[in-house]
Amino acid sequence: MLPADCSRRLVAELRDALDACAERQRQLERSLRVSRRLLRTWEPAETPAPQPTPAPETSGEAPSPESTPSSQDLKELELLTQALEKAVRVRKGISKTGERHKALSLKSGSAATSATTASAPSRPSGQASCRVSETKPPRGIQQTVVPARGLPESRLLSVGDRTRMGRGSRATKPGPGPRDQQIPPSAALQAPEAFTLKEKGILLRLPMAYRKAASRNSRLWAQLSSAQTSDSMDAAATAKTQFLQKMQMTSGGPGSGLSAAAVEAEVGLLRTACLLLRRRMEEVLSADPADCMQEYRCLLTLEGLQAITEQCLHRLQELRAAVVGRQLGPWPVGRRPGASLPCGGGTDPLWSPQLLLYSSTQELQTLEALRLRLAMLDQQIHLEKVLMAELLPLVGTQGPHWLALCRAVHSLLCEGGERFLTVLRDEPAD
Amino acid sequence: MGRRRRRVDRGAAVGALPKAIAALSRTLPAGPSPEIFRRAKFDRPEAAPALWQLLFRVLSPLSADGASASPAQGEPPSTEAQVRAVKSELRSQGYPRRALAQLPEDGSQGSRELLLALAWLLARGPLLERLLAQTRVRLGDEIPLCECEALARPGAPVPRVEADGPVDIRHLQWLMGKLRFQWRKLITSQQEQCALLGKIHSYTRGCHSDRSLGHLSVAETELLRDAEGGQQDTVLGTCPPEASQPTFVPRIPERGAGEWELVARELQALQEELRGAAEPRRAAWEARVGGWGPEWSAVQRASREAVGLELAALQRAWERGGAAAQPHGPCRLVKSDAGASGGPGLRAAQVIEVLRSREACLEAVLCQLQRQCRQELARLAGALPGLIWILPPGR
Repeated sequence: MLPADCSRRLVAELRDALDACAERQRQLERSLRVSRRLLRTWEPAETPAPQPTPAPETSGEAPSPESTPSSQDLKELELLTQALEKAVRVRKGISKTGERHKALSLKSGSAATSATTASAPSRPSGQASCRVSETKPPRGIQQTVVPARGLPESRLLSVGDRTRMGRGSRATKPGPGPRDQQIPPSAALQAPEAFTLKEKGILLRLPMAYRKAASRNSRLWAQLSSAQTSDSMDAAATAKTQFLQKMQMTSGGPGSGLSAAAVEAEVGLLRTACLLLRRRMEEVLSADPADCMQEYRCLLTLEGLQAITEQCLHRLQELRAAVVGRQLGPWPVGRRPGASLPCGGGTDPLWSPQLLLYSSTQELQTLEALRLRLAMLDQQIHLEKVLMAELLPLVGTQGPHWLALCRAVHSLLCEGGERFLTVLRDEPAD
Repeated sequence: MGRRRRRVDRGAAVGALPKAIAALSRTLPAGPSPEIFRRAKFDRPEAAPALWQLLFRVLSPLSADGASASPAQGEPPSTEAQVRAVKSELRSQGYPRRALAQLPEDGSQGSRELLLALAWLLARGPLLERLLAQTRVRLGDEIPLCECEALARPGAPVPRVEADGPVDIRHLQWLMGKLRFQWRKLITSQQEQCALLGKIHSYTRGCHSDRSLGHLSVAETELLRDAEGGQQDTVLGTCPPEASQPTFVPRIPERGAGEWELVARELQALQEELRGAAEPRRAAWEARVGGWGPEWSAVQRASREAVGLELAALQRAWERGGAAAQPHGPCRLVKSDAGASGGPGLRAAQVIEVLRSREACLEAVLCQLQRQCRQELARLAGALPGLIWILPPGR
């Protein structure tokens, strides 16, 4: 049995690691549920299963009537867009509050009506294939809402044509033409032919209101990021640095500008540096130089490694001085800022995300597998350090069951818990 | 002339401040009213609680719906807990003023100091943008390339109900095994998700209004699927978790400061060994090369450059500047044919290369740690004669 405090710490660490894994698994499974659902047949009016305990798909429920369909999330987008706009205003200091609000309220008003019509194009297949046989859709009320539209209709027509011509066996009956088929969503739900992403995904179109909001959203992000580089930003930047310096002065003496977290992170980095330097040294020492040139390079490498080690030691002393000088007190509890390897960008804000282009599923799988592997290695390294700190001292002191402990510790620390060594008693042959 | 311009400028500045504050109070989560800001300027005590709460919300990680960082706790933490958390977080970020740490924990005083703290946070970095980026709706399928944002969030100090009392080492072995199994499960789930994502992206090719994207994301597809059913809440509900995948936030070991001594010892030992290896070799080399000709110096210079480059590459593995080429933050996944070069955005092949080099580095670190353990254990075991240690095969 391990001592109580040691047990407590180690069990806590391992459980933390397990919790982190479990959290990732939960999120993955949520995403999997969503994706699987999208790839199945799109039964209309199903109860979705986003909750952790998914209910079985039930179809055949009465579709909810023409309650404003997409206005909900459009409102969300709009709220976020508003927040962005305010941020832009804070930057620029210009007040266009009046006209912006007016424009937005107009927009949200029209969003409701345009939503019903705009989502109609998302069901071109349903309409194109709507054999008005079994259930005559109640078009009465809805049709009055639908105005005549020019461009979207022609797109609908061409898409519908493509459907009919391109998919021979799947060709739907050339119905009365898409114009008559502009049955708003709730009525189209009773279209008998099911929609699968595989066959008809290419026909989907995003609603106009969504597209407008999304493009305005990205335009505002771009505006925000470009505002960073204008001249007014330089003035703001100098004002900021002056303010920060003043704050530093009033706190009683110039600080090193380092936070406890940063110091700790750098100490961790230096530890990693030490490991990598040592590894390179061992590689060089174990290599057998074949000729003069290689000998010389070995020598240079060793001397170079020595220089770098001295730099690291020097940096470590600096960090120590910073900590002692500022009297940072006890290290912050309950938080660990750094990974084993640093990442470059610390101050870059997370703008509208960059694109990452992949060409095949295999490529994406490789990428994701590597990401997971990095996270796993990070966790393993951390656990290894913790286990080393706790278990090696125990092996150093000989207690009961020392052999069993030694064997178990060896397996945990040196083999990642995967393999065990064998201990034999060396009996002298009598 | 100059004086008039200055007066105009000041007038413009004075006019802009209330508007800026009003905008700020609307943008910040749990934003206090502009009146609170004004009162805080005069250090009025009634403004303090709102500012403590604001700082707590700003400093703790936000989920997409703005809920508190630790959903496991249920209700929001008490005022004392918030005050403590804010103090600890500010201190660890390097907040210079000690007056903040001395404010009472019931949150009743110090509104001016809190205002200063807020200003400090705003001046240090893009706080507003980061908040906005955290709460924004994720329209695309995002993949975070860098785990540091996740790691940078302070771990919620949830009081864990632990198994008190000593455990056997076999319990630890069992937990490790369970962990290995979890990772394997994760990898298979992840592979499946990639396959599904690839399919969705392929099937919706050509649907997006934005030509540079070309196809719909899962969120957008779901938007269309659920558009009629009035079920948009699910769209937004599923959007954000795809982007936020926190890795574990390990507890800080209780003797965190001890790492400094450990690193110092290790570095010094390494320095000694290097000196012991390099000095005799240098002496031997100088003795050999002593009278060689000038053509040798050119070769020497070439070797020096080559070694310099190698060592610089090694140093980049742990230094901050090295990974600057690596993009930071989440990227939107877009499936496009391999021929699309020259367009904006990263290529998966490049990212894979970078990740592979990081993987090699981390594997080297882990191997090195394991080697140290092996040596240490061999040393300890060697103290006991009469035993044969047979190492496991397949190393």
